[in-house]
Formats: sequence, structure tokens, C-alpha cells
Amino acid sequence: MQRRTLLQAGIATLVVPLAPASAQPAPPAVITAAAANSPNGGPGQITAFLRIGQDGLVDFASPVTEMGQGTHTAHAMIVADELDVPLSAVRVTAGQPEPALRLQPVGEMYSGASFGIRFWHDRIRRAAAQARMALTSAAAERLGAPVGELTTAEGRVLHATSGRSLSYGELVDLAARLPLDDQPRIKPAAERRLTGRAAPRADIPAKTRGAAIYGHDVKLPGMAYAVARLSPVFGAELESFDRASLAGLRGLIDVVPLPNGVAVVAENTWAAMQGAQRITLRFKPTPDQALDSAELIRRLQAGLAAPEAFRGKNDGDIEATLRGAAKGVEATYTAPYLAHAPMETENATVQIQGDRVDVWCSTQHQDWCIRDAARVAGVPRENVRIHTPMTGGGFGRRLVTTIVEQATTVAKAINRPVKLIWTREEEFAQSYWRPAFAARIQAALDAQGKVVGLNLRAAGQSVMGDYRPALFAGPLRGNDPFSLQSISDTRYRFGAFRAEWHRIQAAPKVWLWRSVGSSQYGFFLESFLDEVALAANKDPLALRQELLAHDPRALTVLNTAAREGGWGTPAPAGRHRGLAYVECYGTLCAQVAEISVTGREIRVHKVTVAVDCGDVVNTDTVAAQMQGAVVWGLSAMAAEHITLKDGAAVERNFDTYPILRINQAPQVDTHIIRSGQPLGGIGEPGVPPLAPAVCNAIFAATGRRLRSLPLVDQGLHV
Amino acid sequence: MIDLTVNGQPHRLDAEPDMPLLWALRDLLNLTGTKYGCGIAQCGACTVHLDGQPARSCQTTLGELAGRKVTTIEGLHPEGAHPVQLAWVAEQVPQCGFCQSGQIMSAAAMLAEKPQPSDADIDAAMAGHICRCGTYQRIRAAIHHAAAKT
Ligand code: FES
Ligand code: FES
Repeated sequence: MQRRTLLQAGIATLVVPLAPASAQPAPPAVITAAAANSPNGGPGQITAFLRIGQDGLVDFASPVTEMGQGTHTAHAMIVADELDVPLSAVRVTAGQPEPALRLQPVGEMYSGASFGIRFWHDRIRRAAAQARMALTSAAAERLGAPVGELTTAEGRVLHATSGRSLSYGELVDLAARLPLDDQPRIKPAAERRLTGRAAPRADIPAKTRGAAIYGHDVKLPGMAYAVARLSPVFGAELESFDRASLAGLRGLIDVVPLPNGVAVVAENTWAAMQGAQRITLRFKPTPDQALDSAELIRRLQAGLAAPEAFRGKNDGDIEATLRGAAKGVEATYTAPYLAHAPMETENATVQIQGDRVDVWCSTQHQDWCIRDAARVAGVPRENVRIHTPMTGGGFGRRLVTTIVEQATTVAKAINRPVKLIWTREEEFAQSYWRPAFAARIQAALDAQGKVVGLNLRAAGQSVMGDYRPALFAGPLRGNDPFSLQSISDTRYRFGAFRAEWHRIQAAPKVWLWRSVGSSQYGFFLESFLDEVALAANKDPLALRQELLAHDPRALTVLNTAAREGGWGTPAPAGRHRGLAYVECYGTLCAQVAEISVTGREIRVHKVTVAVDCGDVVNTDTVAAQMQGAVVWGLSAMAAEHITLKDGAAVERNFDTYPILRINQAPQVDTHIIRSGQPLGGIGEPGVPPLAPAVCNAIFAATGRRLRSLPLVDQGLHV
Repeated sequence: MIDLTVNGQPHRLDAEPDMPLLWALRDLLNLTGTKYGCGIAQCGACTVHLDGQPARSCQTTLGELAGRKVTTIEGLHPEGAHPVQLAWVAEQVPQCGFCQSGQIMSAAAMLAEKPQPSDADIDAAMAGHICRCGTYQRIRAAIHHAAAKT
């Protein structure tokens, strides 16, 4: 590890050569060839991210998991652009965790917070520029020509004066031994050939042939198949299990106890699934085992009234402003628990050979996979290698690595490689949901209908509280960064402004769900602003323009969505529009939803999106992410919720947790604004504006204000 | 022993007749393009063709397959160049891709029956599929794209 290039916090040093690949061979895999090959490490490595073969092909060790969001293609575009190679010459695979591939300041390799481009763009560009300059220096030495006379193009260094050129493949051995330039020349925007345009995704062709290998598809020689059956009640520990209940199950290998259930191990998935379904388990009692949705709502309501709360914002004298208001507006909103439900259920494959552990996991958190496998297997972390196959959706779900802990437990117990998967029912039951939230919001208006104060009190579980308890220890007691996301950092100017959050406790684990806190707060605040506009007798767009009058960037986003979405012009017959604007992960997004209502049926015809993520790498990916985010948001608001009964989730599969389908999906038109501001994320920011835009349109159509989701609970259907 | 034909190849499998085709394809035949998404006929990720008709392989047991021809995503076209597959690439449909084998199998079966489908035809044929990444707009575009090429 010491001999690798470290490229951390923008400081690079070249360290060569690397440990030969043969020192720690990846185990032979039946169908995991691509996944088993980690791109960082091996001969031809020029920076921590980049390895160039004699054939000129570039292997890029991405610090990010490709789970459909298109980041690997964007990374390839950045590399190809800066390195001067064809896009097709760059192969991207998630790398092994090492310092250069870890997100700072946390110091872990994970894919979250829409960081894939906004954190990595400059670092990757810099590494590629360093590699390009090292190759150029190598060519200067080989050709006996000054560096200043050399240019690079299409994977070659050219010396125009003499007409000679050398390919990168010919130069890589020498280049890998040269020192890297600490201040490489980064191409200015005008010289970039690829980024900022649309490029086809490298992973798509295999995905149309059934040839992409996901975690579910990993198969090792001699591998057993395991399926987990776990307690649906959160926190309940296994007391006993009845092996005899599986008598006669053909293909059964073993039953391995886990802290909160068992893994049934068999010769194929089907046998393991049958066993998991059939086995009788007993669990120990646990304190919150009677929790149901009604009790959860009581806790949320108590949280709204509780004297103690974390205060994320307290500008001006909100109490006096509310008392002195010419007019007041007040409303309470609620949002339910939501599941990620990625199409690929949780799974991990683990092989233990002596003191070496290999883990294959469709994961968003490589470092935690290693941590958990090492702990359970009882080996140092350096002995664990994580292979990240193609990943069937993440959305935050795969930032939890319980599955690796479980799979390692099983592999150790049966002394055989094993693939453990969760059924769809376990995937729903095992929580880590978007927390249920409630908020009471009050606005104060002056005699002219201007907003002079806003007071928000929210209640809900803490997303980060269980994982980063330090957040709740120091002087900023309770400062979960997601607890008032898109609220305490809003660009709106309300005058006096207080925002508070009361942390409630409940047994289900909650976690990062695409757009996290912004997902409920977008709905709360943007719906409420339309209530304020109504009270002030203002157009919803005009109200927002007033609140953002000081901020040209936000106004541009808002006005672009309004203009492109036809705001202020007559809607087609029978159609109604709603508007919303939310910023999260450094990206500003406004949406106009155009709907029609027939009885209790809501039809969302079109959503116009304006999005400013600073600058863009792959325009087509931005459009795809906006389409996906709109569907995600509409799906959630239409009919998604997890309800609780007897301490467990009622909804366990898609029959009771319906996901939006093609016949319900709107047309999405995306307008990208390139403000040139620092890069923002793109996977999440399209989600929060959707629900309020649609609810505001429903209000325009029906006069009915919806303050609680999903719509199906209000008797409305999408 | 169970005899079945998959992608034109005869196979003899030592498996229980109640094993769903899905798991026989994935675990016994290493044809992993067909995916498990729900196991209860709700998501369509496991869709294959049975004698040319789309079928949910999670709901089809090996015992039902005597004399029938199974086609999976791997067998849709020898080079993976079925018009629907090409259209899926042209329209850049997949995100995570996990649902797409099933989507493509249903789209291909629909187009075989209705070469020029309307939006309503597409809704009817494809509403049994879930795409959690939300690629529906592009799925619709790709089906129209494939229809225009035939
Ligand atoms: S796995 Fe068969 S329909 Fe979902
Ligand atoms: S592309 Fe991810 S589920 Fe459809």
C-alpha cells in the first residue's frame, strides 16, 4: 500500500512500482471476471486512479459505485478528455479503497450525497492531467525533443516538427517511473472535447443483453446459496430456531444463526428460499415491539410540542414577529416512512481462504464492507478485498452493510464460499427507511402581504444519530446534517426565521433515502409557500420571486422552469399547474407539474424541470436523472408508505408497496442551466420539488390542500 | 430429471419439478440475465418467453415446461442485436439495468404481435414491469424507435 500513489486532498506523489498483481490473486470466478479485476494495482499504474496497458487501454479505478446513475461514464469522459484518449479506450471499475479513493473529510470510500461528480471531478481531472504530462515527459526523453514541442491526441504523444509519435502504451513503463507534476496543466473549458456534452453510457450495451454481472449474479466455484430469514420486529434477537422444521428439504446444507435470525444455506437459491420461509424461529422480547403507526404519529405530535429541540436557525425575533403579524398562516404537514426498494435486493458473496477474505457486494460503501467482513472473519482489514459488481439501484440503501456481516458469518460457519441474498420481503422488512416526519409551519405577513417571518418545528428520527453519535455530544448537540436539510440553508429570505427539529426515538432504523431530509422538507415548505401565497393573494411564482429577489442564480432556475413550463399562460383545457423549487447537494432545481383531475384520479401529464448543477459532464445523464427523480418522487407521493403493526412493517412486497408504472409516468422535459458555479450533485436534487409541485397543481385544480402523503391515503390515485 | 429447451439448447436438469424456472436458469444454467425482483409476479424482472409469449419465470415451475421452448434475454438474438436491444441502446434506456432484461423481453413479444403499437398498447404490455430507476419515458421512446425501424 505504501508504494501506491497517494492522491489525497489534491497532493499527488508518484510511488512505483506497485505490488505485482500475482501477490494476491483474485480467486477464479465462474462469472465474475470483470468484478474480480480491481483496476487499482498492477503494472502500468500512473496515478492511484489510472493504469495504462501496453495496448493503450486505460483502466480507471473509480471511487464510486455504478448503480445506474451514470457516474462511471462521466468519470470516463473526464479521463478521456484530460488524458487525450478516445472515450472507448477508458474502462471504469470501482476500485479498492485506498486514501486517494476516499471521500473527505470522512475518509471512507462510499457513494453518497450525490458526490460522484461534485467531489471527484477536479481530482480525477487532475490525476488524468498528471498522467498526460508524465507520458509527455517520457516521450520527450524517448524522442529527444523538448516537452514544449510535444502535443497529445488520441492516445499518442506527437512531435509535429519531426513527424514522429509514440503511443501511450509504448510510453507507459517509462512514464510510471517519472515523478508526477504537482501542478499539472488542467485543460480550460474551451479545450475539452467530451465533457459538457452527451455521451453514450458505457454500461448500457451489456445491460440490454443480460450480460452485466450484478451482485445477485456472482458465482464462485463450490459456492453455496443462502437466504436470510430475520426478525421483522426491530431489535428482536434470535432466541432459538427449529432445524427439524426443515426435515426433508432437498439441497439443504445448513442453518446458520445470525443475531436477529438465521441464514438457510442450500445448494441453490430456491431450496434456501423455501427453507427460509418454512423454518420456525423464536425471538426474544424487545422494548418497542408493540410499535404501530398510530403510536409513531403520537410520538411525532409530541415532538412538535416538546419544549426541547435542536435549533438550526434563529434569525430575528420570530415570536414578536408572529405576534405582530397583520396576517398569520399555519399548517401541519406529515410524511411517512419510505423504503428504497432497489430492484436488486441486498446480497453479498463472501469467500474466506485462510486469512484472506474476498467480498463481492453491490454496495455503496466499500470501506464498511471491508470493516464488517474483517471483524466477523477475525482478520486485519488489509486482508479483505472488496469487489463491486454492477449494482441494481442504490438510492442510499446500499450505504448499509449488514448483509456483509451476515454473509461473512455464514461463510465462516460453513467453511465454503457463499452468496447470501435477502428476499424482497426481507428487503422491505429490514427498515433503514426514510424517516417519517411531521412539521408545523407558521408564517407572518405584514399589511402589504409581505412575508416577514417563518417558524418551522419539525419532529422525526435522526438519520445519522445511530452512526455518528458524536453529532449529539458536543456543543452542537443534535446537529444531524439532514435534520433540517433544505430548510436551515435555504436561500429564501423570510425576515425573522426559526427552524427547529425535535429528535424522536423509535425502533426502526432510518437512513439515507434519495435526497434524504430534502425529500420531506421540499414537500412541507413548498406546499406551505403556496398556502402563504394564497393568504397573501399572490401568484405562487411571484411570492417565490419576492423571497429570492436577492439571488439571481435561484431566480434564473425558478424563472426558467416557470417559462418553459408555461407558467402564467393558459394551460391546455382541463389541465392545471403547480410549481416548486428546492436546493440540495449544491444543485438548484425547480419544477412545474401539469396535471388533470378526474374524480379521484390524478393524471400527471408533464413535468418541466430546470436544474442548475453548476456545470455538466454528461448532459444526457442529467436528463436521465431528472426523469428518474420525477418518477421516484411521484411514485413516493402517489402510494408509497411503510406502516407499522406490532413492531413490524406491514408492506413486504410490491403488491402492498406499489411502485409507479409506465402508464402513470409523466413526460419530463429538462432544461439545464450552466451557471458556472461550483459543481452540484445530480442523483438526488430532482426528487424534492416533485411532490409539492404536484400537490400545488392539485390545489389549483380542486382547491384541496394536501398536507399528508401518500395521496392514496387521501383517497386519491395517480 | 427434467428435460427442457432453453435458447434452442436441450437441457436435462436434476431438480425438483416445483422449482421456478427463474432459479433453474440462474443457478443451474448460469443464465443470470433473467432477474429476481419480487418472486410474486409483481415486477416483471424475471420475464422470459415461453413459446414466444412473455411469461414470469418466478411463477413458472420446471414441471410445466415439458415440450415447451424457453427463450431468455441471452437467447433473444445471437449477437444481442434484436431491434429492441438496439433501440434500448439508441435511446440510452437503462440506468441500473436490473429490470431491463424483463422489459426488453416484454417489449420484444409485444412488437412481434403489434409491430406499430400505440401508447395505450405500450401501457398495456409494459405496466406489469417495475423500473425503480424510472426509465419509463425512454422505454416508451425505445419501443417507438424499434417500431419505426421495422
Ligand atoms: S420476480 Fe417474477 S415478477 Fe418479480
Ligand atoms: S433501470 Fe434500474 S430498475 Fe429499471
